[in-house]
Amino acid sequence: MLELRAITRAYELGGERAGVFGVSLEVPKGCLAVMAGPSGSGKTTLLQLAGLLDAPDEGEVLLDGEAVSALPEKARCDLRLKRLGFVFQAFNLVPVLSALENVMLPLQLQRVPDGEARRRAEAALERVGLADRRHHRPGQLSGGQQQRAAIARALAPEPLLVLADEPTASLDHAHGGPLMDLMAELAAERGATFLVASHDPAVIARAHRVFRLMDGRLVEAS
Amino acid sequence: MILARLALRNLLRQRRRTALTLMVVVAGFLALSLAGGFMAQTFQGLSDAAIRGGLGHLQVMPPGAMEGDEAQSLEKALPDGEALAARLRQDPAVAEVLPRIQFMGLLSSGPRSVAFLGTAVDPVLEPRHMASAEALKGGAKAPGGAGSRWISADPAAREVILGVGLARALGATVGSSLTLMSTTRDGALNAVDVDVAGLQDLGLRELNDRLLTISLATADQLLDAAQARSRLSVVLKRPQDTAAEQARLQALLPEVSVKPWFELASFYRQVKLLYFAIFGFMGLVLFLVVLLATANTLLMSVMERVREFGVLRAMGLQPGQLLVLLQWEGAFLGLMGSALGLAATLLLRAGLNALHLQMPAPPGTSHGYELNIHLVPAVYALVALGLQATIQVSALFPGLKAARLRIVEALRHV
Repeated sequence: MLELRAITRAYELGGERAGVFGVSLEVPKGCLAVMAGPSGSGKTTLLQLAGLLDAPDEGEVLLDGEAVSALPEKARCDLRLKRLGFVFQAFNLVPVLSALENVMLPLQLQRVPDGEARRRAEAALERVGLADRRHHRPGQLSGGQQQRAAIARALAPEPLLVLADEPTASLDHAHGGPLMDLMAELAAERGATFLVASHDPAVIARAHRVFRLMDGRLVEAS
Repeated sequence: MILARLALRNLLRQRRRTALTLMVVVAGFLALSLAGGFMAQTFQGLSDAAIRGGLGHLQVMPPGAMEGDEAQSLEKALPDGEALAARLRQDPAVAEVLPRIQFMGLLSSGPRSVAFLGTAVDPVLEPRHMASAEALKGGAKAPGGAGSRWISADPAAREVILGVGLARALGATVGSSLTLMSTTRDGALNAVDVDVAGLQDLGLRELNDRLLTISLATADQLLDAAQARSRLSVVLKRPQDTAAEQARLQALLPEVSVKPWFELASFYRQVKLLYFAIFGFMGLVLFLVVLLATANTLLMSVMERVREFGVLRAMGLQPGQLLVLLQWEGAFLGLMGSALGLAATLLLRAGLNALHLQMPAPPGTSHGYELNIHLVPAVYALVALGLQATIQVSALFPGLKAARLRIVEALRHV
């Protein structure tokens, strides 16, 4: 499903060379994979490369066997829109839209008719347990509710791959565990592939695969 | 339409900032549209004054009448002016034709003589179509002007109407007897005695000091004019067709020159140019203010939403779509600003007109006038379009800034 081949992306950080160097990994379809490692190990950088938000200096990203990292910006935008979903650490819901509208947003960007977008968004919100809060704006939701809305937003377009960057980092333990259970269930239910960057043991414990990173290099895959 | 919805929601989210920007747009709209209404009133007044002051909608004159000083004599006249007038009256587009003779000479009262510029008109037709009576009203208020009336239609009557300055220079009043001297068509000196029927105040000091009006019958006796006329003032049934009728009549009468009133009313053209220059500059400044205010609002909005733009880009939004998003915000600002500006303009216009404010006399004229700002939908539409275009331009820079954001940096933005 997702394959990273000898990916290198280097940048200067505080006068030192940081990034990821020569990382290769493979995530099969329907897998909940976690990239683990301490802060600065390159988890987020690798996630951004896998999500086509950034381009590698060397190596390539393959989605379903197709090399996609060197595609032009427009084609990468289309891929992100139609085949990828993102969950961010800080939720990053659009503050002026309700939970329902936030979930409808990627569908509307795909030009899904409003009625169908609404139906699919409501189903996604119901699946994450937010049906009764769908008309609330992000500012009226708790952190856990916002992250569940963000997951619903990532899943509603039924992407092939969901990339989640520290999804539990802004949540307490009581909310983080159930959220990961939800992601694992969704991976099993829908055959969606999840690649999660996290150093949270609760997240790692629920992973089908774990890739450990250290100083931008893959040190362990299990 | 999701981008339009996002744009509108964002403007409504930042209510205070949006309100401040809207105030600038509304002020710009208000200033420009009221100025446009005031200009329309001025132009209307000036065009009425020119047309009803004697020019009519069209002037028929001999070729070359506009060249040199000969316009004031019968040397360059329409030799069969009356016959041409009768022919033109048959034209379906023509409401009336007013023949005129322009001449000059000396006006004497005992030992005093003053040079004048005279106009001979048809005493019956003239008051029906021109503003002769209005000038008499002002003349009646001048010293010696009491009892002012229009010249008699009786061909045997020898009467004159004097500009108030001319009457003052001669010490003449209504009822005074004066002597008009001029040269006939053949160049011989001639004189007739006339009685002052009234005084006229033409609004311009220079005209009041020089102009007099007599009947065509009196002019015929003084100038031996016979059928000759200096010009024919043509009043059209449909004034809005002036340009088209001018072309048509010119083609129909190639032996004479047919001119529209706006080519001959030099004061009208000069004032129009001056107003366009003044209000054009004012408009430029206002558009610049709107441009900067809107660009500032949208740029601030972009700076505050860097992370949001990063998320939208991560979700697959193209850079160009962010540009479109900002254009939508500009579009809504323009539409709301113009709508509010229009409402404010209509209210303020109604309020100002209801006050019946008296404006001071324009330079060179002796009458003030009442402020009556015209309702000019075309100006409002033009102002709205101009403001909209300005705002769309102002949204370009913030839009480009948003479109150029690197996604990974935008997502890290705090």
